[in-house]
Amino acid sequence: MPRPANPVDFWRGFALISIFINHMPGVVFEALTHRNYSYSDSAELFVFLAGWSLRHVVGPPEDRVPVHRLLFRLGGRAVTIYAAHMTIVMLAIAMLAVASRALDNPLVLEWNNAAAVFSDPINTHIGLVLLSHQLGYFDILPLYVVLMLCAPLVAIIHRLAPSLLLPLSAGIYFATLIFQWTVPTWPAEGQWFFNPLCWQFVFVLGFSLSRERGPGGWVRANLALVRRLALPILILATIGAVVGWTPDPTSVPDPKLLFIAGKTFVTPIRLVQFLALAAVLSATFEFIERAVPAIVTYLSMLGRNSLQVFCVASLLSLAGQIVHFYFRGGLLVDTGLVTFGVAILGLTAWMTEWRERAKGSR
Amino acid sequence: MTRVGARLLLVLGFACVWPALLQAQAAPPLQIPKECAAPEATEIATSTLPNIATALKSRKKLKILAMGASSASSRGPASGGHFAIVEKFLEATFKGLDVVIVHRGVSGELAGDAAERLKMEVALNNVDLVLWQVGTADALAQVPLDDFREGVGASIRWLKSHKVDVILVGLRYAISMVKDPHYQAIRTAIRDLSKEHHILMVGRYAAEELMEKLRREKGIVASEAETTEAGYVCLAEYLARAIAAGIFVRDGQPAGQPPSKVN
Repeated sequence: MPRPANPVDFWRGFALISIFINHMPGVVFEALTHRNYSYSDSAELFVFLAGWSLRHVVGPPEDRVPVHRLLFRLGGRAVTIYAAHMTIVMLAIAMLAVASRALDNPLVLEWNNAAAVFSDPINTHIGLVLLSHQLGYFDILPLYVVLMLCAPLVAIIHRLAPSLLLPLSAGIYFATLIFQWTVPTWPAEGQWFFNPLCWQFVFVLGFSLSRERGPGGWVRANLALVRRLALPILILATIGAVVGWTPDPTSVPDPKLLFIAGKTFVTPIRLVQFLALAAVLSATFEFIERAVPAIVTYLSMLGRNSLQVFCVASLLSLAGQIVHFYFRGGLLVDTGLVTFGVAILGLTAWMTEWRERAKGSR
Repeated sequence: MTRVGARLLLVLGFACVWPALLQAQAAPPLQIPKECAAPEATEIATSTLPNIATALKSRKKLKILAMGASSASSRGPASGGHFAIVEKFLEATFKGLDVVIVHRGVSGELAGDAAERLKMEVALNNVDLVLWQVGTADALAQVPLDDFREGVGASIRWLKSHKVDVILVGLRYAISMVKDPHYQAIRTAIRDLSKEHHILMVGRYAAEELMEKLRREKGIVASEAETTEAGYVCLAEYLARAIAAGIFVRDGQPAGQPPSKVN
């Protein structure tokens, strides 16, 4: 039996739907996603909850999973995510090629950073396999692969010296901001859209705060205080995001990345706002569950099967971009796209669980 | 000699008489490929790159930020892709000039979404010039025209107020988009924005259109990749010359005759 609806799965499902919609630029419903009212967006939520979910693999302190099994599990998870990423990237490339042929439009081949695949296939295929070339909107899973490859290290540090984990992660994060370290792309020159040296901090924060001891324990013990502190931050940040206020990057002192808003480096402004958002939203789940139980059940189902749903959502988003372009968008087309997409995502999650149930009953 | 050739020589000629700014020398014989040299190939608003000109008085380094659709090339990473043509041309034209191109293109990113990233990259990299390939993603995503104008216009205003020059790179030609009203409207909007803000715009639409027409007339069959590659090479060739030309026109007054169009 799948686990019942819970806040982590629910918010993960929420993040998946938001990512699906945001990855269809120009779609009417994009204006409704929370990134329009927030400095952070669903990417922070997704990575934070990925870190939070690591607790299920690592296990509770009183029932420690042997290290070799831990490494095997986390390594296996990284390989699974990598395989999933490669599969959807190949399908996406084929979708762009088919669309280009069907619409007789070479511009489609250049969409979402796919141009290099067709113009420089030898190098770009090497880059795709090495994750140094990423299609636009297909760049979260490479980050996730790197994070999962680092997860055994996270788990081992947590086991051997738990108090060191967060400071170490924060150290890498701030050093990256101060020295502007980036991870280059190849063969097309550039940098990873999600800098893993910064985003690892969101992942480790998710993991650390999920634990009953350490920072997670402190937050649980002082949750009311944390929420009281978070609320005014969130209100101010929401006002700032709505009116479009961000610090002028040329006016702030060095190191600039400490003071400006940037997604690539998930800068402190985004991170603090996200943590405030998480603290406040953590109080809302029970209310939402009572108000709209069907939606909570549905989104939790998506969240329980996040990898499969994410992969299908990525492909649906790309298909949605093509359809949106072909039919020139509009409320009717966009409503159809989002409704159909959300239904397919539900079907994906349901089929995944149905298959698991079928396996279990054998 | 065609108008195209005359104007090209004019631009290169400027490069030879610029000792005050840099140790200029006779420009190397980098010719625009024949297939690129089409009438109306590249439209450039009569304007200047004043901030670059000022900056180059005190130093010999030009830092360029490439934004918008990222350029990849079958020329391969060893040759540095298409922007290597720009870099090579400028360094060969102005002896002693070190040109650094920072690639921060995110293909598929809408102009409105790029605004914050643009500001961040300008600040982090202290760039003198932004090359912004803009509009394709917005056209394909059916972004409302007013939103597009407003978003790009706001970014241009910000760049100008921070003394950073900008060159807009216009849309590509595609036969299936010739009668697409939104695509054409975005194309016109980019041209209008360049005129409104007095900034350089390098369009490749006309050049690619002519290349396509000539190919059809000659019965030459080219693959999508070859067509794309040829288009990008032409773009880079024009871009290089546009920057060189723009540097010479100061305060609206050229050190000679400004090229209102470089063909």
